[in-house]
Formats: sequence, structure tokens, C-alpha cells
Amino acid sequence: MSTETDAVRPGRNTVPAVRDQRARPVPPPPAGRVRGRRHRRGSVRRQSLPYLLLAPAVLAMLALLGYPVVSVAVTSFQKLDLGELIRHQTVWVGLDNYREILSDPEFWTITVRTLVFTATCVAAIMLGGLVAAELMRHAGRVVRVIMQLALLLAWAMPIIASTTVFQWVFDQNYGILNKTLIALGFHGFVGYNWFSTGLSTMAIIVLLIAWQGVPFAAFTLYAALLTAPAELYEAAGMDGAGPWQTFRAVTWPVLRPIVMITVFLEILWDFKVFTQVWAIRSGGPDGGSTTLSVLQYLDGISGHHYGVAAAVSVLMILIIVLVTAQYVRLLVRTQEVDI
Amino acid sequence: MSRSPSRGKRIGVSVAGLAMAAAFAFPTYWMISTSLKPRGDILTSGYDLIPTRLTITHFLDAVEKPGFGIYVRNSLMVTLGALVLALITGLLAAIPLSRMRFRGRRGFLMLVLCAQLAPFEALLIPMYLLMRRFDLDTNLVSLVLIYFVTTLPFTAWTLRGFITGIPADLEEAAQVDGASRWGAFWRVTFPLLGPGLVATSIYGFITAWNEFLYAFVLMQDSSHYTLPVWLATFQTAFGTDWGGAMAASTLFTIPVLVFFLLVQRNLVGGMTVGAVKG
Repeated sequence: MSTETDAVRPGRNTVPAVRDQRARPVPPPPAGRVRGRRHRRGSVRRQSLPYLLLAPAVLAMLALLGYPVVSVAVTSFQKLDLGELIRHQTVWVGLDNYREILSDPEFWTITVRTLVFTATCVAAIMLGGLVAAELMRHAGRVVRVIMQLALLLAWAMPIIASTTVFQWVFDQNYGILNKTLIALGFHGFVGYNWFSTGLSTMAIIVLLIAWQGVPFAAFTLYAALLTAPAELYEAAGMDGAGPWQTFRAVTWPVLRPIVMITVFLEILWDFKVFTQVWAIRSGGPDGGSTTLSVLQYLDGISGHHYGVAAAVSVLMILIIVLVTAQYVRLLVRTQEVDI
Repeated sequence: MSRSPSRGKRIGVSVAGLAMAAAFAFPTYWMISTSLKPRGDILTSGYDLIPTRLTITHFLDAVEKPGFGIYVRNSLMVTLGALVLALITGLLAAIPLSRMRFRGRRGFLMLVLCAQLAPFEALLIPMYLLMRRFDLDTNLVSLVLIYFVTTLPFTAWTLRGFITGIPADLEEAAQVDGASRWGAFWRVTFPLLGPGLVATSIYGFITAWNEFLYAFVLMQDSSHYTLPVWLATFQTAFGTDWGGAMAASTLFTIPVLVFFLLVQRNLVGGMTVGAVKG
């Protein structure tokens, strides 16, 4: 793995190396072209076949993904409220929407909250996933199967179902958490409302997302852990390495690439999350758990300020594109993708 | 130092592992056990982790709630519709991307890879305006289309990975034996694609079955609700009827759980091989 990466890295520009590698096993095109000249019709059909097969997918992606991406950028420069929408008016306002958003201190509060929220979710998921994966690797067969079954249960539970269950667990009067705390002697939790402040509401949402996200991370990291050569652990054990040293010297080098990829995926997933945040308290109390995706909904769909909401979306997309570009670069560099 | 881990360490790992398993299984357990408790045992200050009396009335109540059958039907229609479209289109796209040489292949691959990471949640506004323009904003077709295009890139990408993993020699051998190019693919490669189709179906099924934002925004009329939208409005639908809410959640979970348990072996391998390894 490391030699491959080193072979590509010196040039910084990874494209030529990758392309050369791909070209090697395949016969050079000229031969096909000579044959093509003799059987022109068959060749035309043969050459257009890949494009025909790709056409449905590409058309669908252009219409339902490419068009919205262009449209959101265009809309963000327009004043588009319910009136303009109904009258089919196009009112260009230049950068007004951006000015309005960026000069609003509330927007910055929400942005910082979203970034902190994303970082906390990703950290919790990676830490939980790593602990679960290590425990599965070291545990006996029975405990491991029990763990895998429990993680599978959590993974399989639909988002809205687990969100509903979490609301029930944290219920003010009859929730099992408050009941348990009271039974343990903490009488301050009689009728305690976990959703009274934005911070504790966000904490519960993070807990919920971590609970939903850990299984994927755990199974992915566990699969990667199994690829670590057993001899290395034995050698580390014979050299008297402690658990932490063994982890750093043996486990981490094996895990690092897969950890990086999982971290990027989690950032991309958690940054834009809407369902859990909305279903728990609709961004409340008092806007205290509003994230960027909720703001986009509130501005656009509830507030009918489609232009302003589109500008929020564009800012979200810019952040996502920055992360995605790093992710794709990492994929190509570690040659997880043989493009 | 002995080769095998010490007894203390083994016990520690087992205890920690079981504690973690309990934490992850608890919400599922709590959902099911609440859904089976009589109403009087739910809204009480009494402490009972294990239900003392069982009843299925909450399930009967949930099923008999007005519209339940329609919501199930809506959810199934959009999920299966999107799934079938994504599998067919994705498979068609995966074949040239894995088996053929043509100009622009790299560009198409990049397109699929980037589309797979597309932030659909951030395209809410243009998608809403688009569906509105074609009068689809109250039609289940819009959800089918959105879920289809959400799952298509992953489906194409993952199937491409699986097809690449099946040696082309097998197809060539069949062609030498007189099979047509299609015949060779259909009879040799396609049957070996089972795990790939399973992995992508699960992904598509779960994505569409779970999706809330677009269903919530586009389906304003309650006759077009899908199950997630209905469940999310449970506070109006159920009030403080947590037994009913948990019964509905359980019913909503069962199809996914069955899907997961049936294919869990393929799942872990399939998801990681397909999704992460490319």
C-alpha cells in the first residue's frame, strides 16, 4: 500500500501515473480503428454502445442533479418570494441575498453551531466506532456476535423510528432516563426537561446521530482491523509493547487510510443532516438547535424567500465541495479508486 | 509475558463489549417493549425495565389510524419504484464503465463519483421549484424521481466495482464458445452479481424508506404522506400516546430489520467493498 502511494505522490499531479497504469493491460486503440474501417456499420454501433448504455443514467443525473445545481446558483441572485413565484417574475438583485445573510449575526451563530455540531458528531462516531471495532476484535466469539447483533439492530432502525424512540427515552415526565435518574436518587430530575435549552437539545441530537452512525464506522473499521497481519501483533507482544504502543505501531498504520475515508464520509453526511434535527424539536427551543439545513428550510419553504434560501444552500454547497474535493483527492492518492 | 491475553483483560473486554452491545440494543428493546405495554403501564411513574403485562392493542390502534394503509402503500410505491429504476439504470451504466474502453470513460467515472457525494439536502430549493414547475410537487412521482437519482450514483458505482471484480476472461471464454456479447454477460457475469445487487438494493431501499426531507416538503397533502412523514407528525397523530408511537415505529422498522438480518453477511462485505473500496 505505502509503496504504491509513494510511487504516485512525488509528482503531486497524480493523473498521468494513474492513466498510464490503466492503459497498460488494454490493447491500444489503433488496432480497433483498422478493424472498424472494414466493418463500418458494426463498428459505429459498437463504438456508440457505451454511450447508449450510459445515456439513461447521465440524462437522469443531468436533469435531476445538474439542473438543480445550476438553478440554485441562479436563484441565489434573484429576489424570489411567493409573489414572484406565482407571477413567474424574474427579479435580479445581484448579491443582495448574500449581503442580507452574511450581515445577519444569527447566520454566523448558526454556521458556527453547524460546524461544531458536525465536528462533535464525527468525533463521537469515529471514537465509538474505533472502540467497538477494537472490542469486537479482542472479544470472544459469543461477545462478538452479541455486539454485532446489537450494532446491526441500531444500524437497521430507520432514522425517524430511532428519533421517535429517543424522544420517548428523554421524555420529561415518563421517559426512562429521568425515571432511572430518579430511581438512582437524583431527585432533581423529576419533570426535568432535556429540551429546554439549545445546547442540551443539540447534545441529544449528537447522541442520536452518533448512535445511528457508530455501526457503519464500527463494521468498516473492524473489517480493516482484520487485515492487520497477526504476526505483527505477536512480534509486538514479544517485544513487550503495551496496548497503546501496539495500537500506534501496528493497528494505526493499517487503519489510517480507512479512517481518513470514513471521517470524510461522516463530515459530508453529518454537515447537511436535516431529518433528526427537525424531528427532535424543529430547530428549537427558540432557534437554539437550528443548523444550516434547517435554516435553508425555514427561509425557503416556510418563509417563501426562495432566493435567500438558495443563497444559504450555495454557501452550504461551497463548504461541501471543499470537503468533497479533499475526499476525492484522498481517494485518488491512496488509489482506493482506479480511475 | 504470556502469549494469550490475561484473564483480567479478557473479562474487561467482555464486560465493555456487552455494555456497548446493551447501549446499542437498548433503543430497539425499549421501542418494542413500550409498544407491548398496556397504556396504564406506560404513563406511570412506576419503574419497570421489563414489561409485566403485554398487549397488542397499540399495534391494532396504529394500524387502524386513518390513512395508515395509504401511508404504507405510498412508502412502498416510492421505495420500490426508485429501487427498480436505479437498479436498471445503474446496471446499464456499470457495464460500460467496467467492461468497455471508450473516449470520456474517466470523465463519466468522475461524474458518477461526484454525483454520489452530491448534497441532495442542499438542493431542496431548486428541486422544490423544479417539481413545482412540472406540477409534480404534490405527486408521488416526484419522490420516485428524487430517490431514484439519489441512489443511482451509488448503485452504478458499486455495481461497477462488483463487475470489475468478476474476471472478464469468463465472459471471453463464453464468447469463444459461441455466445454473443450480451449472452456472455447475461449468463456468466450477471449471475455472479448477486451480492452487488443485494448491496445496492439494500442501500436504495433504506435510503428511500428513510427519506424525510423531500417527502415532508413536497407531500403537503396528507393522502400523499409516506411513513416517515406520518411518524414525524406523531405528536399530532398520537398526542402522548407513546405506546402507539412505539408500535408504529416498530412496524416501520420491521421491513428494514428483516432485510438486514437476511443479508447481513453480504451487507458488511458489500457495503465496504462497494462503497469504500470503489
